[in-house]
Amino acid sequence: MLRARTPLGWLQLTHSKSRFIVASAGVGFAVLLVFMQLGFMNMLFDSTTVIHQQFKTDLVIMSADAEGIVPDSGSFSRRRLIQAAGVPGVADWAEVYIGTLNWTKPSDGTLGAVVVFGVPTDVRVFANSALDAQMPLLRTSGTMLIDEGSRGDYRAFFARIAAGEQPQVKLAGETVTAIGTFNFGSSFGTEAYGVVSRETFLQLDRSRHPGVINMGLVTVTPGVDLASMADAVSKAIGATEVKVWTMPDFMEVTRDFLRVNSPIATIFTFGVLVGLFVGAVIVVQILTSDVQDHLGEYATFKAMGFKNRYLLGIVYEQSAILTVFGFLPALLLSILLYRLVGAAVAMDMNMTWSRVGWVFALTVGMCLAAGTIAVRRIYSADPAEVF
Amino acid sequence: MTTASPPRPAIRIAHLNHWYGEGDLRRLVLRDLSLSVERGKTTFLMGPSGCGKTTLLTLVGALRSVMDGSVQVLGRELSGADETALVETRRRAGFIFQHHNLHRSLTVLQNVRMGLEVKGEAGKRDAIDRCLEVLSAVGLADHVHKYQDQISGGQKQRAAVARALVGKPELLLADEPTAALDSKTGREVIELVQRLAAERGMTVLMVTHDNRILDIADRIVEIEDGRILSEAPPKADAIPHPERLPTVWTRV
Repeated sequence: MLRARTPLGWLQLTHSKSRFIVASAGVGFAVLLVFMQLGFMNMLFDSTTVIHQQFKTDLVIMSADAEGIVPDSGSFSRRRLIQAAGVPGVADWAEVYIGTLNWTKPSDGTLGAVVVFGVPTDVRVFANSALDAQMPLLRTSGTMLIDEGSRGDYRAFFARIAAGEQPQVKLAGETVTAIGTFNFGSSFGTEAYGVVSRETFLQLDRSRHPGVINMGLVTVTPGVDLASMADAVSKAIGATEVKVWTMPDFMEVTRDFLRVNSPIATIFTFGVLVGLFVGAVIVVQILTSDVQDHLGEYATFKAMGFKNRYLLGIVYEQSAILTVFGFLPALLLSILLYRLVGAAVAMDMNMTWSRVGWVFALTVGMCLAAGTIAVRRIYSADPAEVF
Repeated sequence: MTTASPPRPAIRIAHLNHWYGEGDLRRLVLRDLSLSVERGKTTFLMGPSGCGKTTLLTLVGALRSVMDGSVQVLGRELSGADETALVETRRRAGFIFQHHNLHRSLTVLQNVRMGLEVKGEAGKRDAIDRCLEVLSAVGLADHVHKYQDQISGGQKQRAAVARALVGKPELLLADEPTAALDSKTGREVIELVQRLAAERGMTVLMVTHDNRILDIADRIVEIEDGRILSEAPPKADAIPHPERLPTVWTRV
């Protein structure tokens, strides 16, 4: 069966290859802008929960006003954790001290800040088994593990550790021995993480009372419903100064806090809108110019008996073609840029299928809207004027 | 014994008035014009520029709405006709324009195929064969895959003729189809139109200034100032002669 309809939109767009490439590149540029804005925004949101995923726990007890696992997320009495330990179904627990300590960067010798976790070494605290395996080494007082994802050029420093050396660093005014590394991946707000034993932490942060902790980790016996356990632990503690969460719920709280209480989402959403606006302007310009160029031919088609609907279809066909030919290269380029940016800032910047779907839908909407603006000129093609 | 009734004319125009502009700027271009065109005949419309012949052609081609009077084309009254009726009438006609008006992004074959597509016949199994047949008839069999900028002016106009004829229209409307062509090519194109029209029983209404092709017409209608000045078969001396110069109609 022969095709009943000539693909005029395609033939018009591709008649001049260079113009077609420029047009597709214009749409692609807008799509790339949108992808990058969404990528940055989600990298920021994801980065706030990267640290959550490092802990091996079922429930997390935090200060009632905590929005994330950060040094200023609030502190509470260690007794609350011990209360939780008495709840039937609790298998294990661990306290975590968090503090921001000054250090002399091993990378370049300048002063900086490192977020340090002080943890017990006789309980499994971290999900990462390589990190967990190093915990017994921290029982030696004055030792620490350093995050390989720390921002800065630490290659030489980490190479020394990898070679078996134990270089010393100045941390909170004390000399501490770096005995190993781990990889959390850094976040926007934190340039480096360190892990020390509870005892070393209390030596470094002398203002900290041992009975005041920042986070409690609770592991429950297998098969117990986590949400009901969180309720049960919360009731057992009975204090309003803390809240008990399942870890996924707490991650959601952290993301929501950033989304609602910071201008980040607004800024990046505005960036997305700017990208879409730029794209729409480009597509309107391309399509309007194409309609204008072919106005005489469209008038001829009208004289031959083609209806406006057929001609509108040509413009919408062009919209669809520009959508696809702008979107696909932009998607590939975005994936490449995500990797480059992620590597540059030592953070994960991942493309997700849902984002691909959303941006494609936005691109379709953008091109359709632009097409709808451009088609208005078709009505001005007067078949009587071709004579 | 019964007498056979005369065949219905392809075009019947009665008391047609048409104007442009409104109020003080209103300008009457067709005045109480009445005309009947027989089916299967070739009629030339001639007259000075601005006399209204092209306006008349666009009204017959359903490209404009009839303002006052009656225009019946192929049995359909166009006065008061809605857009759908106008479009349907256009689809029963073939158009040849002064400038070929080929689509520059399409090959010759694709342009001709548009003449079938408008009638919903481009998907039929024999569509390409029909296009090639008519392209062959106009002498473009070797140029079907070329674009308009790869062929000569005469070839473009032949392609436009093929596009107009491929859908087998009952009526062919042409507006100075030889204007952009040299005399030899112009005559070839018009003879081609006339031959194909005769083969297919088409009615042809053609606006022309070209005195060199008058012998081809079955009938010549002269229009001046929006009125019909005369209508008659071509005179014997209208047979073209290389030395013949354009007459009054080209003196604008």
